[in-house]
Amino acid sequence: MADTTGKSKKRRRADDGAPELPFKKNLKPDSAILETLKSLQKSTIAAASSSSSKPKSLSELALTAACREVTDQSPDSVQSNIEGVILSLARSIIAGNGFSFNVPSRAATNQLYVPELDRIVLKDKNTLRPFANNSSVRKATITTKILSLIHQLCLKNIHVTKRDLFYTDVKLFQDQTQSDAVLDDVSCVLGCTRSSLNVVAAEKGVVVGRLVFSDDGDMIDCTKMGIGGKAIPPNIDRVGDMQSDALFILLVEKDAAYMRLAEDRFYNRFPCIIVTAKGQPDVATRLFLRKMKMELKLPVLALVDSDPYGLKILSVYGCGSKNMSYDSANLTTPDIKWLGVRPSDLDKYKIPEQCRLPMTEQDIKTGKDLLEEDFVKKNPAWVEELTLMVKTKQKAEIQALSSFGFQYLSEVYLPLKLQQQDWI
Amino acid sequence: METGGSSESPAEPKKGRSRAPKKAAESLLKQKSPAEFFAENKNIAGFDNPGKSLYTTVRELVENSLDSAESISELPVVEITIEEIGKSKFNSMIGLIDRERVDAALYDDYETAKERERRLAKEARAQEIQAKNAASGKKVKEQSAGKGMKGRGEGSFYRVTCKDNGKGMPHDDIPNMFGRGVLLILVLKYLASGPGVLSGTKYGLKQTRGKFGLGAKMALIWSKMSTGLPIEISSSMKGQTYMTFCRLDIDIHRNVPHVHVHEKRKNDNKWHGAEIQVVIEGNWTTYRSKILHYMRQMAVITPYAQFLFRFISETSDKNVTIKFARRTEVMPPVPLETKHHPSSVDILLIKRLIAETSKQNLLQFLQHEFVNIGKSHAERLIGEMGSEFSAKMPVKSLTDQQIVRIHQLFRQAKFDDPTGDCLSPAGEYNLRLGIIKELHPDMVATYSGSAQVFEGHPFIVEAGVSVGGKDVKQGLNIFRFANRIPLLFEQGADVVTRTALKRINWGTYKINQTQDKIGVFVSIVSTKIPFKGTGKEYIGDDIKEIATAVKSAIQQCCNQLKSKIIKKLQAREQQERKRNIGRYIPDASAAIYDVLQAMTQLHASKKRRYNEEDTDLVSKVASRSITTATLKEKLSEHVARVDYEMALEYATQSGVSEEPREDVYIQALEPAAADGKKFLDFHSPAFVFRLVC
Repeated sequence: MADTTGKSKKRRRADDGAPELPFKKNLKPDSAILETLKSLQKSTIAAASSSSSKPKSLSELALTAACREVTDQSPDSVQSNIEGVILSLARSIIAGNGFSFNVPSRAATNQLYVPELDRIVLKDKNTLRPFANNSSVRKATITTKILSLIHQLCLKNIHVTKRDLFYTDVKLFQDQTQSDAVLDDVSCVLGCTRSSLNVVAAEKGVVVGRLVFSDDGDMIDCTKMGIGGKAIPPNIDRVGDMQSDALFILLVEKDAAYMRLAEDRFYNRFPCIIVTAKGQPDVATRLFLRKMKMELKLPVLALVDSDPYGLKILSVYGCGSKNMSYDSANLTTPDIKWLGVRPSDLDKYKIPEQCRLPMTEQDIKTGKDLLEEDFVKKNPAWVEELTLMVKTKQKAEIQALSSFGFQYLSEVYLPLKLQQQDWI
Repeated sequence: METGGSSESPAEPKKGRSRAPKKAAESLLKQKSPAEFFAENKNIAGFDNPGKSLYTTVRELVENSLDSAESISELPVVEITIEEIGKSKFNSMIGLIDRERVDAALYDDYETAKERERRLAKEARAQEIQAKNAASGKKVKEQSAGKGMKGRGEGSFYRVTCKDNGKGMPHDDIPNMFGRGVLLILVLKYLASGPGVLSGTKYGLKQTRGKFGLGAKMALIWSKMSTGLPIEISSSMKGQTYMTFCRLDIDIHRNVPHVHVHEKRKNDNKWHGAEIQVVIEGNWTTYRSKILHYMRQMAVITPYAQFLFRFISETSDKNVTIKFARRTEVMPPVPLETKHHPSSVDILLIKRLIAETSKQNLLQFLQHEFVNIGKSHAERLIGEMGSEFSAKMPVKSLTDQQIVRIHQLFRQAKFDDPTGDCLSPAGEYNLRLGIIKELHPDMVATYSGSAQVFEGHPFIVEAGVSVGGKDVKQGLNIFRFANRIPLLFEQGADVVTRTALKRINWGTYKINQTQDKIGVFVSIVSTKIPFKGTGKEYIGDDIKEIATAVKSAIQQCCNQLKSKIIKKLQAREQQERKRNIGRYIPDASAAIYDVLQAMTQLHASKKRRYNEEDTDLVSKVASRSITTATLKEKLSEHVARVDYEMALEYATQSGVSEEPREDVYIQALEPAAADGKKFLDFHSPAFVFRLVC
């Protein structure tokens, strides 16, 4: 029971013949681990500068299929775009032809994974949305309504949330998913990012650690934000002046793990920035992560559950979601490393059987589907891990590590992972 | 009607029992009189309680009448009357004087002072609540005015009369037909034949109505047991100039009829058939709906019959009169008698057949007493039986062991399946008419399967599925028929219920299982219906052959309905399209106009420049020559035009007539010049016009 390191003096588990001790003994002093992290950071910066020409734009790639991308636009140009659309609608109505929208299709068949860019892009298929048709009349009407609302926002240059937008005409929209979906359609039609529509989602993501940035002119020091951290501003335009002495960014899937790390001040032991979007990431968190990666040139390490959905979330950060593939250029962060918890860790760290869950039919199906996805296939190490998961039919959450003590994650698991450079 | 040969019947089932239970049955019969035996096993025959007894009495009489009319190929006309008899009237009928209660506390329903207090308090509370509800304008169901203060002794009595236009009975036979041998036949036949085997004849088997094939005898026994009042029978046969009237009761212990009156009366209006009247104990209140359901379902499956149902109460406001009219004159053929299929017989049956056969040798016996055994087949079978068998051996000389050997071979050998020719299904046409006649559904589909076989007995499954209709509750309404009689009890475990609830995916056929009014009708006919349960009220779900046939029959119906339903949905969508799109016109035009108006302000303040065409439009908005109303109007015009085009397209695609055509039933023409009138007939292949001069 001898405490070999001073760090674990808080541990109260008395008769602990747990298998953590051997692992803990494996830990080198923090300074050694810091050295490996510094080398990681250097190589990242080197890679970024050497291949600065690498993040090509879509137009530079001679792709056979035409693709669609959107750009950031000023409120003024969004406004005039809308006016253009509305004028053509009005002319069509007055000419007695009714009206109809030509909306880019965001269906799965219209998506394309581009390995050169390592992200999903939208192909150029369109669907017609005529007003005088029973099946599309609703969507056509909602689209005009949203256009008119966005026009107002641009005119006044204010921001509202998606919820605000929905509440302007609950009777028409019926539920928020409908107005949200049309909002994405409108982005596609106008060819601008969703942020340029002046519509934001409610704050979801949080950040804590060695980061200083300005939010609408106010300087924020994320080491002094308490345990909860700073909410990631929904409007990325307000964010600027990023500075950091961190060696890496730690992307966490879950709130619980994030809180553990924040409370243990993990970022002080190993200088880092900790980010979470509490599940599937929203647009603001993805934009924020990309901005950090681009400006600070830090390596990004991800800590997700060992189940198909963990990997799926990872893929959304990395390659973008199908729903918003039209803006994948701005939303994706290249080169995210999968640190843990990986299926192979379950045995490596001897996670007890009672903390592992059997995968459901649905889980296994999702896992097998993921194996078919291009963004998984491009990384052989990922394929190996996922195959292992589907084969053992076991999954585990990050919290499974708590079976060795609540602080095992921050005290042993992560330091050891970093020391062994165990990321893929 | 069973012409019960009392001399041989008791002997026959004795043979027909396997050893161990036979002894038990024998000793049972020695110790108990038949009446006692019946009393203890009432539930088997459907006489569990007064209510069910009334129900069973009605159905036995009705089924007996239908059989009788069908046996002479007459379209059945059945009148059934239930007359309530009050206690004092009943007492006077049996010659008992009404007696006042003297010692009130002696009776079961005596109310002690405490109970009375409690009851009054409760009633007062109920009244208060009612008054409150009335004040607040709520409608509440009338509280039933306390439970009827009926003691055990005070059962209700009913006179049940059933009159038909059937075969009738010969004058001299009536006392014996009703009075003799009834009980022994009944009880032993039930024990011997097992569920649903209707070996009604000596020579073979036949599809018959009813669960026991015993006609109305159970009802007669019940009347004897519950009231002791005699039965009254009126009967006349075709071509008879007189009518027989007979009043008799059964001496149950001696098993002989006790005739009160047996006389010939005048028969003025050439009536033939039978009218049977019994007085029984029953309960109308609790089984009212069951009896009415039974009549209605009977009308569905027997649309060629006319039923008149009457209930006469002591208080006239409770009277019920329902007439189920005839809708067709097509009657299913009378079921044919058929011989046994070798794979369906057991050792006892083989013994019986040997005892009764007129054939001399084994070859002839096999060839003539079973279906699906030809001469060469019989020879091969005899060769297979072993060296001790020969074609010419006398069949009566077979030993018990040899019979067992024959039975074994029958089980193992392959035989062709029996044909369904001997069955008489209701017929798809009749089932369909029955459903339309009684339920008036929006849509109906019927299907008649081909004959299939279960354990050597052929069966046919017919099904109908209806959607909508009057007096149909939402969800699944299941109507089950076995050998053309409705099954009303123990619905839950039945193969039809289970199939309809669990194995049919109604959604696939665009039918909403909870919202739509779905009627599922399944009629199964067979020479042996594999009933389950003591009351023989349902068909088990464990017989794969029947379950599969039921499922596929229902699915066939659903498939027919599906196309109709889709057509209907399309038609509705077509009708509602314009209205649906129209709803969105104000929203869309307002949204567009809002932006246009904002643009006029920008334009006015010179914040933005537009090209010439757009400037023109914007200035028109500014000068209010284009307003929301303009946009609305133009949009409406466009929608109307598109709708018109689509309607045209729809009409050319689907044709003009959308409703499925329905046959109309018209009464057949009277034979021409029957009563001296002159007719002129105009014939066409499809119809005849008759000009009456």
